[in-house]
Amino acid sequence: MDLAVSASAVVPASVAVPLAGAALMAGFSRLLPRRARDLVAIAVALATTTLTLILMAASAGRPMIYWFSGWRPSAGMVIGVDYAVGPLGAGMASLAGLLVCAALVYCWRYFDSARGRHHTLVLIFLAGSVDFCLTGDLFNLFVAFELVAVTAFALTGYNAGYPGPLQGAINFAVTNSLGGMSVLMGIGFLYARTGSLNLAQIGQALAGRHADGLVVVAFALLAGGFLVKAAVVPFHFWLPDAYGSAPTPVCVLFAGVMSELGLFAVIRVWDTVFSGLAGGVGPRMRAVLLGFGILTAVVGAVMALAQHHLKRMLAFVTMSHLGIYLIGAGLLTPLGLAGASLLVIGDGLAKSALFLGVGVLQHQRASVSETKLRGRGRGLAVTGVTIAAGALVLADLPPFVSSDGHALLVYAADQAGLPWMEIVIALSVIASSGAVLRAAARIWLGWGDNESSDADTGTADDPGEEAEGRSDTAGTEVQTQDDKGERSGRQRRVPLTMVLPPLALLAIGLGLGLTSGMEEHAAAAAAAFSDRAAYAAAVLGTHSGSVATGGGIVIPAAPAASAGGVLTDLGQVLASLCVAGIALDRRARRLRRALAAGTGWLRGLHSGLVGDQVTWLAAGLALLAALGEWALH
Amino acid sequence: MSRRARLIFFAVAAAGLAVTLGAGLAGLPSFGSQITAYARMLNELAPRQRHITDVVSAISFDYRGIDTLFEEFILLAAVAGISVLLRPLSDEIRKLPDDKAPDRAIPPPSPAVWLLAVFLSSLLVLTGLETVTHGQLTPGGGFQGGVILASALYVVYLGTNYVTVERFQPVPLLEASDGVGASGYILIGLLGLLAGTDFLSNVVGLGVTGNLISGGTISLLNLVVGVEVAGSFAILASEFLDQTAVIRTRQR
Amino acid sequence: MSVLAYGVVAWLFLIGIYGVVTSRNLIHLVVCLSVAQSATDILLLEIGYRKGGHAPVFVSLPAHPGPAVDAVMQALALTDVVVGAAVTALLLALVVQVHKRAGTLDPDALRATRD
Repeated sequence: MDLAVSASAVVPASVAVPLAGAALMAGFSRLLPRRARDLVAIAVALATTTLTLILMAASAGRPMIYWFSGWRPSAGMVIGVDYAVGPLGAGMASLAGLLVCAALVYCWRYFDSARGRHHTLVLIFLAGSVDFCLTGDLFNLFVAFELVAVTAFALTGYNAGYPGPLQGAINFAVTNSLGGMSVLMGIGFLYARTGSLNLAQIGQALAGRHADGLVVVAFALLAGGFLVKAAVVPFHFWLPDAYGSAPTPVCVLFAGVMSELGLFAVIRVWDTVFSGLAGGVGPRMRAVLLGFGILTAVVGAVMALAQHHLKRMLAFVTMSHLGIYLIGAGLLTPLGLAGASLLVIGDGLAKSALFLGVGVLQHQRASVSETKLRGRGRGLAVTGVTIAAGALVLADLPPFVSSDGHALLVYAADQAGLPWMEIVIALSVIASSGAVLRAAARIWLGWGDNESSDADTGTADDPGEEAEGRSDTAGTEVQTQDDKGERSGRQRRVPLTMVLPPLALLAIGLGLGLTSGMEEHAAAAAAAFSDRAAYAAAVLGTHSGSVATGGGIVIPAAPAASAGGVLTDLGQVLASLCVAGIALDRRARRLRRALAAGTGWLRGLHSGLVGDQVTWLAAGLALLAALGEWALH
Repeated sequence: MSRRARLIFFAVAAAGLAVTLGAGLAGLPSFGSQITAYARMLNELAPRQRHITDVVSAISFDYRGIDTLFEEFILLAAVAGISVLLRPLSDEIRKLPDDKAPDRAIPPPSPAVWLLAVFLSSLLVLTGLETVTHGQLTPGGGFQGGVILASALYVVYLGTNYVTVERFQPVPLLEASDGVGASGYILIGLLGLLAGTDFLSNVVGLGVTGNLISGGTISLLNLVVGVEVAGSFAILASEFLDQTAVIRTRQR
Repeated sequence: MSVLAYGVVAWLFLIGIYGVVTSRNLIHLVVCLSVAQSATDILLLEIGYRKGGHAPVFVSLPAHPGPAVDAVMQALALTDVVVGAAVTALLLALVVQVHKRAGTLDPDALRATRD
């Protein structure tokens, strides 16, 4: 009688509901009037979010293991596919649901086209994300990875009338497909060695053994494929192309959910499969992961500063923060992972608010170029506040939840003997938030020179193509007077459905930050996530002591940590404001020119050519294999 | 990067990747020497447990049925995505194909070609149905049979012309079959929940091995997947066809 | 025999990626991606192969049928084929639109998303 096996119908419902919604939208959306389609999609997303929140609460004590098709393991051998629901995974899935809801509400007015065709794709994206977060089977993880990827490729190219989104989608699709192939090869290798596709069982089979060539290569291929999705250097070159040209509500999904899923998979696979290897969790593997994290954080921050295309800038900001999450997870301690999770939530909400704010600019002012929009922010005060607030939250403004995560992460780095990590993180955060604040100041306050920026990207998709109507569907439904007004009357009031979602997301971030006990919950969730032996025992039904989790994890006492922590966070915020100021000051022009010249080679590498990106991918896989060989021996 | 630089960089990277793959492949058991215990167990048990003769179908639709659900939705998502990507944009119009000669309509298809198309498409429909319904007995199943069924519709276009195809396979009907197939899979999965067991459990009677109706939900799932895949591939063809035959830039 | 069988996997994957990197035509690029994809399918099927084995279909078998090959790998390969088809179709749709909007099929000539 296995206590961990859950018969709860909520587990399969969390994927069945969005899938059913998507299927009905795909088949029968013609029968529904447009507003009904929006409402149905939002309702389905809300229902899914509620279900995943229930799962997060229910799995807090011990993981919920759900076996599909009724096939329980027999004689220690797994037969079917399982979901292993834990609070970390369910929390990630809930975040996905929340951001999908916000994006769908935002799309109410954003996609003015007659046949909103995005509902099916967005709901399938959500279902795939939930499956990704909950699954306990390696091949199911791959299938979910591909599902999320396919919907993402299509959504990126939504504005198919412009070459920018099309090129972005192609770069995205080619690199991420190769990532998926890499993952599948890794799965094949592991299956050949261990005879199973179940994460727990593979982990058990590898536990205590030494990693030979095949295991190292399997790790490199699996991690490399997922790191492509996560956009970690050097697998990241597709990210600015895709995020810079995808429709803004879609960017919310990408920045808040999709990149983090890639990282989630790496940590998941590491924790359940490879962490039990003899010589697995050690300073070398830590060094490898931290190295990639630091590189990503720094490259992202530098490139963000160099951007004047707002969405590309936010893409690099996303990437930089992902590097920070990788640093947190790469410490290979539960506290580091806990800090990273809180950051994922807090930053995810803030990044989404930023993208939605930029979307308002695009909708109302038909541009996303910082230099072209100089001073034109007048009349969009709420959006300006939203963007500034989002940037400050990303800089770990207390008491938002991201500042809690930051404090936890810094503490974990300290514990791991790496106090200098705090400086690296601070510099990246200051630079990336400074870039966004600079843009906000230029657009709303009119600061800065009227210089034509040497970094003006010249992307053909620059003006607000969604508002232009060129990508809209050739009229298959009669356009109402309202729609026409929305498109041509840019001086009209910004619709509430575009103003409220970002503010709501920021408010949620504030609310979570004010909730006490977040750090304890995160630490407990992370401890459960990292405990390979307990996880395997729960899934395979063998009892090796209690499957309770979280015992013995020391969490910093809240008051002691927060005094110094709050000061550091406020310091970061102030520093990013200073960076923004320096970036706009006339007197610092020579400094800026020197910096631009110094980083020109880095910008040149981001050529947008798919051949270059695939070359970097191949090099990255080989590098990862070499580093894995060094780290796992 | 210049092309030359890229090539040199790639040569180095490919060498590294080749070594990596070689190291991994070298660790595999000798080719053809063994299969895993899991596979051996399923080969022995599946025919008895599920009353089927094609173990691959049993794995796809029963033991690992949830994977196939998501796989079906990958296809649905791809086709929905293609409908989005290839939709007529606001600077384009849909215009039925004309003959090059300005003074006549497109001549009707030649009777010989038309007859061949009828014969071939009937054959394909029969083969497709056979493949879909015999998935639990012989290699085949919903995906394979669905593609064959869709190709029957392609042959109709080859033998006739665009207008006939439009009338014969209207896109709303294809979309509906897509939706029905996809939601059908979920409904069958819900049967398990209603019967008190797990999602996608096989709760329908298993039948006798070797009969057409056997395997329980395996044959039902094959049917819904066949409907969905046929609809998907037909929509796919019609979208691409629209792009070449029908969608033109709006002349100003 | 092992070297040839497994070497094919590495060769196909590398030559597919080489094709993608050096391609001058987007349709050629998409097909090269399929070639790389087929490498992964072949790897799965080879892992599941058993010398002297028959397909895991237990109907009309000879008197002494011998072992069956791995059916799980075949199911996985089937799934991968469907995924590959879906992605190829999407990429080709993108290529069709690129040709219309950018006027070129040369991936190195697409300059819309550079820095």
